[in-house]
Amino acid sequence: MMNDSENMVADADATDEVRDFQQGDGQTADVTTDNKSGKSGKSEHDDFKRTGRMMLYVRRFCRRPSAVVGLIVLLILIFFAAFGARFSQWSYDEPDFAALAAPPSSEHWLGTTVGGSDLYAMIVRGLGRSLTIGILSSICITIIAALVGTAVAFFEGWFEHVGMWLLDMLLVVPSFLLIALIVGMAKGGSDWIWLAIGLTAFGWIGYARTLRTLTLSLRDREYVRAAKFMGVPSFTIIVRHLVPNLGSVLVINTVLGVIGAVNSETSLSFLGLGIKAPDTSLGTLLNAGQSVVQTSPWVLVFPSVMLIILTFSVQLIGDGLRDAIDPYSRSGGKAE
Amino acid sequence: MLKYIIKRIGNYIIMLFVAVSMTYFLASAFMDPRSNYMSRNPRPPMASINRSLDMANINDQTPVIIRYGRWLKGIVTRWDWGLSPDQSPVGPAIASRIAASLQLVTLATILAIIFGVSIGVYTAIRQYKWQDRVLNSIATFFLVIPAAVMGLMVVLIAINFNNLIGTRAFYVTGLHSYQGNNPVLWVLDYLQHLILPTIVMTIPGTVSYHLTQRTYLLDTMNADYVRTARAKGLPLNIAIRRHALRTSLIPTAVDVAFSIAGVFTGAVITENVFAINGLGMYFTQTIAQNDINGAVAVAAFGGVCTLTGALLADIFSAWLDPRIRLS
Repeated sequence: MMNDSENMVADADATDEVRDFQQGDGQTADVTTDNKSGKSGKSEHDDFKRTGRMMLYVRRFCRRPSAVVGLIVLLILIFFAAFGARFSQWSYDEPDFAALAAPPSSEHWLGTTVGGSDLYAMIVRGLGRSLTIGILSSICITIIAALVGTAVAFFEGWFEHVGMWLLDMLLVVPSFLLIALIVGMAKGGSDWIWLAIGLTAFGWIGYARTLRTLTLSLRDREYVRAAKFMGVPSFTIIVRHLVPNLGSVLVINTVLGVIGAVNSETSLSFLGLGIKAPDTSLGTLLNAGQSVVQTSPWVLVFPSVMLIILTFSVQLIGDGLRDAIDPYSRSGGKAE
Repeated sequence: MLKYIIKRIGNYIIMLFVAVSMTYFLASAFMDPRSNYMSRNPRPPMASINRSLDMANINDQTPVIIRYGRWLKGIVTRWDWGLSPDQSPVGPAIASRIAASLQLVTLATILAIIFGVSIGVYTAIRQYKWQDRVLNSIATFFLVIPAAVMGLMVVLIAINFNNLIGTRAFYVTGLHSYQGNNPVLWVLDYLQHLILPTIVMTIPGTVSYHLTQRTYLLDTMNADYVRTARAKGLPLNIAIRRHALRTSLIPTAVDVAFSIAGVFTGAVITENVFAINGLGMYFTQTIAQNDINGAVAVAAFGGVCTLTGALLADIFSAWLDPRIRLS
């Protein structure tokens, strides 16, 4: 979350810079004087308050009911994952041998698995794992992809050729297989860290390619050239000028990337290659539920519902953000 | 054109070689076939463990570069992809499973393209009307559901349906179970097995083709040449069909070509849910058994699929879009 807001602020700064630069350039004398009088007028009348960029985004976001619902649902899920374990007397790693595969009851709210573990406690734990892995790897993926994608586009010439060839090469073998290779070996306990590392290590490549394409139009802008000729170090240009200008794309894709990461995590854990007992995740629960689909369907149904709510709420937030940030969006109202 | 294609193929072969070699080293670093034997009770003698590992060329006491050399030599000279830890050859195991995966993937891909593109066109023409909004919401909903959840939910519904009508209308495991000689019953049995996995694999494909085709068509529908066609007096439907739809199908064709690889990995989950003994199932087995050669061979097959898709995409776009200069 911290990362996101930083990006947004940086984005606003950079765009202001562009505006200043263009004003300094002064296409016509009229425009420049107009701007100047506008500025001085503003300082004289302090009661006139300009809508800030963040405020604008927040208002546009709130205008979409579905986005607000998504955000509320996600916050509830995070709260549930963080504190849900306190409401139940059972712990996820403490089976109740008196109630094996018991249906939902007042004792075990969502029933128990074949091994006697309380499903409520396991879902709370698994949801926390899925959320942690999803958010962590999505943020890391965005950071790596943003740096690599812009760098490949910024250093033109042979560097770009070699970089693109390498990116294409890394995409040849389906990343799902490579992640499975790495994570399948991790032993219980630390496997969720390996899963996050694996998802990050092979998840950024396609995204970096997309960002490189977007950077192509940025690298010839005046402010980038000016910085280059002023002798600003390349890395500083990338971090200060190129990455912030992709800010909106990065924010949206970080949010939507959580869905992809959660889906991959679920798939791998479902195949028995991700998180393994004694730890648990929603995918692991699906795996456990698969074999008892006829006898105790609740082991399957509750984690599935939880996953659908999780991914769908994130999707709603992502859609809302896209419309809030995209200046050409027509889906909201007309007023700012 | 021919020169362009040959150049691309050459580039792709080098890419494939580097990528598969990288996978080999990665698999050798992360997989530990020795643990298969060490966990056995009683533990076999060290010499015999080493012998079986050496036979399969996966002994971690041999330097990895030497193992890699042997492995490469086997493939180049004899097209031998090596042995599993249980000494069974990898090549035939994969070849026998390709057919099952192919049956599943082909039907699902074709259906997904047909449904997805038609719904995409239907909704694009009715942009922001209620049909568009409803179908879009449904599509977004299905888009985010994890493949495993989708598969298992379909299984759950099918089992309950079977129980409800009191007979087995759908089978949820395998591709065949009929043993007799009656061809009609055989086909019926095959369809009863195939329908559920096909549904599970068709839905995500349909949804993504729907959303992309909608975007592509909307992009071209407001283009100048469509307005010109309308100004000439062409009815809206014909203008869209002849001018907008044609151009918008180019990126879809490219997507379809690229999806060859994606569908293959999507099948991993579906095959595991429905216990279909295809490549995806084989891949999970190789990982579980620390089968380095098997896992690398599957990855290589996946790589070939990706690059075939990329090549087809290159050819499609060059063929369909005259603006792309080939040189």
